[in-house]
Amino acid sequence: MTRKANKIQPHKLLAECWSKYSYIFVFVLILIVYAITINANGNHFNPGHISGILSSQNTVIVGTMAIGMAMIIITGQIDLSLGSSLVLCTGVTIVSYNATGGNVLVMLLAALGSGLICGLINGVLVGYAKMPAFIVTLGTMLIYRSLTLSVVREMDPALTGSSSSQFSMISDMPSYEFLRMRFGTGSLRLGSIQIPYISFLFVAITLFFIFLMSNTKYGKSVYAVGSNAKTARLTGINVEGVKVSVFAVTGLLVGVASFIQACKIGNVTPASSGTSYEMYAIAAVVLGGVSMAGGRGKILGVFFGALSYTTINFIIVSIPALSPDIQNTFQGLVLIVVILVQTAGPVIKEKIISLRQRAKAPKQ
Amino acid sequence: MNTMLQMWGISKSFGGVHALTDVHLDVEKGEIHALLGENGAGKSTLMNILTGVVPLDEGHIEFDGKVYTYPTIRQMEDAGIAFVHQELSVINDLTVYENIFLNREIRNKWHVLEKKQMIDQTRELFQRLGVDMDPMTMVSELKTSEKQLLEICRALHANAKLLILDEPTTALSNEEISHLFEILKKMKAEGTSFIFISHKMPEIFAIADRYTVFRNGRFISSGLIRDTDSRRLTSDMIGQEYADKDVYHTRTLGDVVLELKDFTGHGFRDVNLRVQKGEIVAFTGLAGSGASEVLQTMFGVLPIVSGSVEVHGKSISGNISRFMEHRMAMLPSNRKENSVIPDMTIQENFQIAEHTLSRRKPVIHQKKEAAAFERLHTMLRIKSDDPQDPINSLSGGNQQKIFLARWLNTDADILIFDNPTQGVDVGAKAEIYQLILQFAQEGKTVIINTLEIPEIKKVSDRCVVFYDGAVAKIFNHDEITEQSVMMYSTNAVAEARKSEA
Repeated sequence: MTRKANKIQPHKLLAECWSKYSYIFVFVLILIVYAITINANGNHFNPGHISGILSSQNTVIVGTMAIGMAMIIITGQIDLSLGSSLVLCTGVTIVSYNATGGNVLVMLLAALGSGLICGLINGVLVGYAKMPAFIVTLGTMLIYRSLTLSVVREMDPALTGSSSSQFSMISDMPSYEFLRMRFGTGSLRLGSIQIPYISFLFVAITLFFIFLMSNTKYGKSVYAVGSNAKTARLTGINVEGVKVSVFAVTGLLVGVASFIQACKIGNVTPASSGTSYEMYAIAAVVLGGVSMAGGRGKILGVFFGALSYTTINFIIVSIPALSPDIQNTFQGLVLIVVILVQTAGPVIKEKIISLRQRAKAPKQ
Repeated sequence: MNTMLQMWGISKSFGGVHALTDVHLDVEKGEIHALLGENGAGKSTLMNILTGVVPLDEGHIEFDGKVYTYPTIRQMEDAGIAFVHQELSVINDLTVYENIFLNREIRNKWHVLEKKQMIDQTRELFQRLGVDMDPMTMVSELKTSEKQLLEICRALHANAKLLILDEPTTALSNEEISHLFEILKKMKAEGTSFIFISHKMPEIFAIADRYTVFRNGRFISSGLIRDTDSRRLTSDMIGQEYADKDVYHTRTLGDVVLELKDFTGHGFRDVNLRVQKGEIVAFTGLAGSGASEVLQTMFGVLPIVSGSVEVHGKSISGNISRFMEHRMAMLPSNRKENSVIPDMTIQENFQIAEHTLSRRKPVIHQKKEAAAFERLHTMLRIKSDDPQDPINSLSGGNQQKIFLARWLNTDADILIFDNPTQGVDVGAKAEIYQLILQFAQEGKTVIINTLEIPEIKKVSDRCVVFYDGAVAKIFNHDEITEQSVMMYSTNAVAEARKSEA
């Protein structure tokens, strides 16, 4: 057997790295563009900008949910209810904090529990009732937000912590200082770099899910269901169960994101918070190289996808000439161009190779 | 006779690997030319060159009197070459005539479709070929065999002068095959040429006029079919004297390990069968006879309607993992649809079934799995370089061996194989049957479903013939002959009795 007897060729190795880790290259490229725009604005790109990217809502909150979204997309489904679930769960989280006089454990359990329930509702309808995920989560997207909206108006301000149609953490609880100042917005200073604590949480979650998806049997079954559900079933995998489980896991991640939202922002406004977060999550997933057709994609990619998406936002916001109204246009454009490069790249490469071969072939 | 197609001096390499080295192929007008060779012999590459899908490195192509140096897909289509692929490419959501006229619709000057004209033309075409099909039917309602015919009709309607048929009979029953062959003969008489790719020897001898054999990308032999025999063709294909001897030998069988009692499910009823440890039982029957459905129901894929399946005296029902826990395994038919996980590596594809059984230990032990793969890799003589390569980098036969390994790795002792040699080349086929015998020798119980009666004769202790959802006859090894099995699977026996009465 001549296993791996081939000599390593540098350009081939690079090509392989590119195709395997293109999301890292994409992130570095976007980061360079960011640095250039900052310098063009007359400022200096410094470590503060990096910690800005790491602590942004788009990284930690959307990024955490995007990991779940990636698992759902890998099984060939979609979840449009993420933004609404986040609002609902953050509401539950904050209310349980306020109602228990600042009990952190109850708050955390409320966050995870409400997230799990939201996810399970989606999952059971998709997995066991066999409804299309797009429709189910479109429905729950409307339901979750509207429920939260109607509750926040009716509820006692002593529980919501605010009189203006939002849920807000009451600041005179003993644990408030710790949750908001230390955990939510605080950071660890390493030399000249400040790393927010919640970024460590995000990294830890990412590492856990990298392990789950690549080193456990459950992870492989998620990929198998997305790649060929029929085969997955014939090898004894409980396909419906796997589908339910990815929604449930995503629900738990929404719970974690709600906890972060509560600690980092301190409040949530059902009418406006978290709108389009499901779309941002999909953007991060796709920027991370996960196939929308299912079966393929890496959690590490989603991590970098979330960073890339945040950085793209920062670039657009940092260009003074762009009015806030037009910013979404540029966000959309950048997204389309990046994906075009990822999908059209291999096709163009193939064309070039075949043209080259044709030129090499002897002419008669 | 005049020559329709001449290809000579054709060479092609992919990144340093020679797929074809100086091969040639001639096809005459109005002949059926069998192109033979194992998977990976270069047949597909040559056909892809001929249809302009893959550019050639060196060589000449002359078709219908014109020389093509750099054929493109468009050019070859216009010249009259049509490729009828193994995977059907008709569109299910359109009607029969819409498929025939796809991309060539007749329109009036307002660009509105002339439906009546198209329907009439389709009818005419069907009449000419003796095809019994309504142009207005939705394709989704057609049987697989009818779809295959439709695809051939579509190529003919486009005035194809040369049709490439890539294993056109895999999904067809014997009756349908003979119908297809009648149509081919009719078209041949009208001057259409065919390149016929098949692994089934009886068909080649039934339909082809001449043959060309490739091996490892090289031309080996060609000639008239009537001047050769299947033994010679096979040895040309696999390169050594293919011993067609009876490898079967009697073994002492153990206790009854599997019993079907009044077993009834979707597509079959009242099946009673006792299988002993170490026995090889072959199921056979035409498409729709219920043989495959029995196997699927025995493994929890389809629901049991009534009756029971007992393993070691214990009645089992439920989902697939329940049956796997009772040490059963099933290699399903239709490899591409039911076995391949296309986005996964060879190693991952191999391991996936065992994961179901060991799911109580959730973390993957890489080293252990690599060792398990290595062991079966050697035992099954799988040709692959790196287990981390994608599964689709392997040829059909080697993929099938990976899936065989996938199930052996679950330590099952009742092995169910549904059509295990479908789309597998002669060499790998022989190896697979050899392995089946070896498993039985080791005390495993094997049930296979296949349509290839010679193969049944080679390995099985008993042969269960299904007709119309019921057991028509059970033969012991010595009683199995092609003729008798065919008689029962086509229900010719009952017909004969009826006419006697």
